[in-house]
Amino acid sequence: MSPSKQNGASTLTALSDDLADAVERAGRSVVAIHARPRIPASGVYWREGVIVATSHTIRRESDITITLPGGGTARAQLAGRDGGTDLAVLRLDSVPSDSTLALSDRADADSLRVGSLVLAVGRPGSDGVSASLGVVSTVGDKWRTWSGGEIDRFVRLDLAIYDGFSGGALVDADGRIAGVNCSALARGIPLTIPSVTVDRVVDALLTRGHVARAYLGVAMQPVRLTAAMAERLGLSDSSARGVLVVMVEGDSPAERSGLLIGDVIIAVDGDAVSEPQDVADHLGGERVGAKLALDIVRGGEKRTLAVTVGERQPPRESQGEHGSATGGPSERKGRKR
Amino acid sequence: MSAASLLSRASRAEPIAGELEALANQVRRITARVHTRGRGRFSGVGAGVVWRKDGIVVTNAHVVPDARGHWPIVELADGRSFEARLAARDEDRDLALLVLERSEREHVPADIGDARRIRVGQLLVAVGHPFGIEGSLSIGIVHALRGADDAWLRADIRLAPGNSGGPLATLDGAVVGINSMVVRGLGVAIPAYVVEQFVRDALQTGSERPLSAP
Repeated sequence: MSPSKQNGASTLTALSDDLADAVERAGRSVVAIHARPRIPASGVYWREGVIVATSHTIRRESDITITLPGGGTARAQLAGRDGGTDLAVLRLDSVPSDSTLALSDRADADSLRVGSLVLAVGRPGSDGVSASLGVVSTVGDKWRTWSGGEIDRFVRLDLAIYDGFSGGALVDADGRIAGVNCSALARGIPLTIPSVTVDRVVDALLTRGHVARAYLGVAMQPVRLTAAMAERLGLSDSSARGVLVVMVEGDSPAERSGLLIGDVIIAVDGDAVSEPQDVADHLGGERVGAKLALDIVRGGEKRTLAVTVGERQPPRESQGEHGSATGGPSERKGRKR
Repeated sequence: MSAASLLSRASRAEPIAGELEALANQVRRITARVHTRGRGRFSGVGAGVVWRKDGIVVTNAHVVPDARGHWPIVELADGRSFEARLAARDEDRDLALLVLERSEREHVPADIGDARRIRVGQLLVAVGHPFGIEGSLSIGIVHALRGADDAWLRADIRLAPGNSGGPLATLDGAVVGINSMVVRGLGVAIPAYVVEQFVRDALQTGSERPLSAP
């Protein structure tokens, strides 16, 4: 069968050839990971000797079997995992001589636009590469997952993440890898974790075994200040909001700074805050050890506290080879693909 | 030219739509509508593919029940309607072979493609009657190719009841599979080479004795 029997070099045929080429090219970086019962999951060969996968699909931490693009197998160990971004990093015991395994070109997150034609490429077993086709349906700003991970872009996909596709690659129509797909971060909605986030998490996991999580140790809720109080404090009406501190964790950065239950935080480093998320936005992992100025209202008076951002200790089972090898109940098991 | 730049240009959208329309019409010509009549009951509607010019139509076994008193009715794209003889039925391969009765004229048969030569990611189209909507076109890609002995072709394509028995075709209109079922969202089709073997077997056997007396 000649592909151009009737339509000649038509636009559609050219597109079809490009898509098949894209799968073939990106498929050289997509492996199968056998680290859970039944259906294996996918992973992406990200750096020399390093494979990225989704954490929820890794149920065994050592002696993990990898199926390579050429059909051969290799052994790998878990180097670290981050429940927040649902990423895990595996290290191959030895870089296989199998020349079918290759690193792929990357597309940066800015090249993904709503409507961009994309492929999800996975390898949910030993039988070869699999793909689904769709479009990018949403591109948003930096967001924080329900489990606290920072992801640089919210990229939602209109395509099928089939069983075993989590950990596979999001591939653009030119065969470049734009991210790692995951269905476990937002109630089964297909998302991609953009390459820039994957790179950051891989760096952290390879150097420290975990991703630093900045924290203060407070629970907060939004609160509106009365007009009289706002006026007395010299606040314009729009900033007559804040977050009420409803809990201060013992031996936390917040407690050491002198923050008390009942304080109302109205600004962090001069930026007005009206939601707990506004405070959390100042707590990226890179802020650990930094000093923040908290403008608070206590007893009707405004004052400023200096707080040193602390690092939340990761749960033991999230430390990969540095922690317990038996794992624990931390990962959301068995529900997602 | 790369696919991304092909698609980023609005001027490309029109030729794509035009090509798809032509392709849809081409595949519709060889797509039949199959239902059964008998004992006052009507089963659901499925699709079929005109496989040979002498009036051989292939569909899924599950579209045509093997029950006494049921007559398969085949409507062709040109509007003609035929009673058909259920000449062979294989539940394992989910295939059935229908022979159109009293069809003097030759029919336009499907162009049969080679399902062994398709690539993962390649575009495919399906035509059928999902939920009774006649001649609907779906587009998708080849999802996976398993080992050579695998009897199924998997497509990332949206199918529904009514696509059963209909064609899964490449962009040049060559039929590479018969849509059979949806498994966890995936379209699963019987590869054309399996269908060819089934048709050959059925016709050979059928010349001596009918596999299934209608």
